[in-house]
Amino acid sequence: MTILDRLFRSCVPGAVLYAALAAPLAVPLDAQGLDPATLLHPTADSWPLYHGDYSGRRHSPLTQITPTNVHALGLAWAFQTQQPATLKSSPLLVHGVLYFTVPDNVWAVDARSGQQIWHYTYHPNIGMHIGHRGVAMYKDWLYFETPDAHLLCLNAKDGTLRWDVVLADVNQGYWSTMAPLIVHNHVIVGVSGDFDNLRGFLKAIDPDTGKLQWEWDSTPPAGTPGAPTGGMTWMTGTYDPDLNLVYWGTGNPTPVLTATTRPGDDLYTCSIVALDPDTGKLVWAFQPSPHDTHDWDAVETPVLVDGDFHGQPRHMLMQTSRNGYFFVLDRTNGKSLLTAPFGPVNWALGIDAQGRPIPNPAKEPAPDGRLLAPDEGGLTNYRSPSFDPRTGLFLVNAHPSYGIYFAKPADGTFGWAGADYGVWGKSVLEAIDYQTGKLRWTHELGRGSGAGVLSTESGLTFTADSSGNVLALATADGHTLWHAGAGAGMETSPITYELDGRQYVLTGVGGVLYAWALPETSAAR
Amino acid sequence: MSVLRRCLLSALLAVVFLGVPRGWAQAAPPPAFDPALIQAGRQLFQQNCAFCHGRDAGGGETGPDLTRSALVAADHGGDKINAVVRSGRPDKGMPKFEFSDAQLDGLVAFIHTQAIKAKSPNGGRRGVDAADLLTGNVAAGEAFFNGAGHCTSCHAASGDMAGIGNRLQGLKLEERLLYPWGAPATLTVTLPSGETVTGRLAHRDEFTVALRDASGWYRSWPVSEVHYTVAEPAEAHANLLDKYTDADIHNLIAYLHSLRQR
Repeated sequence: MTILDRLFRSCVPGAVLYAALAAPLAVPLDAQGLDPATLLHPTADSWPLYHGDYSGRRHSPLTQITPTNVHALGLAWAFQTQQPATLKSSPLLVHGVLYFTVPDNVWAVDARSGQQIWHYTYHPNIGMHIGHRGVAMYKDWLYFETPDAHLLCLNAKDGTLRWDVVLADVNQGYWSTMAPLIVHNHVIVGVSGDFDNLRGFLKAIDPDTGKLQWEWDSTPPAGTPGAPTGGMTWMTGTYDPDLNLVYWGTGNPTPVLTATTRPGDDLYTCSIVALDPDTGKLVWAFQPSPHDTHDWDAVETPVLVDGDFHGQPRHMLMQTSRNGYFFVLDRTNGKSLLTAPFGPVNWALGIDAQGRPIPNPAKEPAPDGRLLAPDEGGLTNYRSPSFDPRTGLFLVNAHPSYGIYFAKPADGTFGWAGADYGVWGKSVLEAIDYQTGKLRWTHELGRGSGAGVLSTESGLTFTADSSGNVLALATADGHTLWHAGAGAGMETSPITYELDGRQYVLTGVGGVLYAWALPETSAAR
Repeated sequence: MSVLRRCLLSALLAVVFLGVPRGWAQAAPPPAFDPALIQAGRQLFQQNCAFCHGRDAGGGETGPDLTRSALVAADHGGDKINAVVRSGRPDKGMPKFEFSDAQLDGLVAFIHTQAIKAKSPNGGRRGVDAADLLTGNVAAGEAFFNGAGHCTSCHAASGDMAGIGNRLQGLKLEERLLYPWGAPATLTVTLPSGETVTGRLAHRDEFTVALRDASGWYRSWPVSEVHYTVAEPAEAHANLLDKYTDADIHNLIAYLHSLRQR
């Protein structure tokens, strides 16, 4: 119940009177919805998409917090989810209200004060509760995927359920964690499911009716001879309105560590695909990991950048992929511009003519084990990178690491079909020069962080280390300008916005959402 | 594969991955736990544990196969498992879970049932047997130990490594060899007064260092206020990771395995 509702109900008993009094207020409240057209040009007082905008750059134009004044950054408010689950979501911000999630839970919270407006709880279910990335918004409605692979439509005003449709069968082994992407009148949704031989897909759902508009399948139906299953679509993609193309990463093939039943490249697993958002038709595909046998999903954010590449203006797509390579593509056609490792990798024989690493068969999982760099978690994972156009730096939380991979015939050809173990790893924030793939600077973050990254136009980079410190770094050279102990490793990607002339930086750490800002008295006004 | 065989395989896999249907349970040896308890544990496991440990507890993304875990084998009614679930294993990336006693009972029942099932001939058991790892050459392993690996800078076959093959085998030996997580490191701090304090490293990040001193007390300092050095002999293991061939590792395992005492 909202505060407004409670006020009315306490003052005015009787549903008729309540409705009569509430009705006039419904007019301004209706203005709180999100016009899909505004997604093309998000304002500074909003964060209306998972990545903040369609580009996936996570670079904010805000400049109130600067390298000079960031030392004064302090806590504006904190919101306790009071849930054991760790926050892994990026909040949306629309008209002063934040919407964010953990599995089975959605909150609406006042972005100025951290006060809860409503809290929706889904019923207990057997889906995998490994994490949740957030919701999408269209007009007055929120779209929320559940662990048992349903898509819910909630009323953004009060969190009440409008409809609930099944995306995939949890009993077959599907689950879901991702934040949907809104393009035009399509709610684009993906799924997860690595432990069974299941087909990956993207679906576009009608935002009003919940009906299926189109489906694109990343792999053939399960049981197709010689073909893989898998190619799960568990991270939110990006969108280029001028080309009218949606860019999405797909996950690893199944069986995961054993490839005897799936010779060849295993298309379209471990791929970046460009789809027409209105039809779901494939326009082009690029495969970062042909014939993957190490669980290296290529779902990391496909970041869209327009600019110079080696002297030519280009519409680019950049990805730091879980397999350890940084890719720059021409996003009009999917052709490779650059492929370069961004940390230790030891599994490729070279780069082929298409710009794809060539997997070394000697590094496929084996009965006596193979030492691989990176480990199964990859050189990076789902937490977002950032692209800073001022410096041309691609900022990513990298995980230099080694793991050992095993597979033998007795492991079969279903689901995981092998075993793997991380042996060593650390966390480093890397600033990659996108023109060369070379590291301009690095910043050590300890043993096990994996925080997302946000950069701002004032020259700041926000992330966190593995000891629970939230950090503000100088984007130019990576040196630390500010930190605050937040009590746990950060598994979210930060966001920022400005309300009433005050810039906030939001970091979800553990089960707490922290809002950082300059002191009200010293905020530049 | 024939259609019939595929059907049979599907049925078997359905049993392995989706749990035991009632009819099957009656045909199998009597379960050690109440089926309703196992089912409750299975649900909790699916939601919270399966991503890392696999839906059948046989290993998944990063988490070990619980059906062959020594800790599970040594557990009686949760006396070992419960503590791990409640405290987590932060050094290995396992979070802690706030489950009630009743929930833990179900979880323990499910894990033990899976361990029993995995030992059956058709259990679909995955993972690594100690014998899988003995493909190396002892002499080549000894040569690496004494030569290219520089292992003798810290270790001696007749010293700390004597009998290592009795103490560690198989995957545990390999993991320990590749990187000994939790190996002690020594922090030495020089205070502004010039006094030095030495002890076992307890914490280090960009802003704070801490140790346990000789008397067992935890002490910490802001790094901006002190000078410090860390002696971390285990880093020699990490420094080898980009130098090993897979054969080097298997040879080393064979050699260390041979350092057994009868």
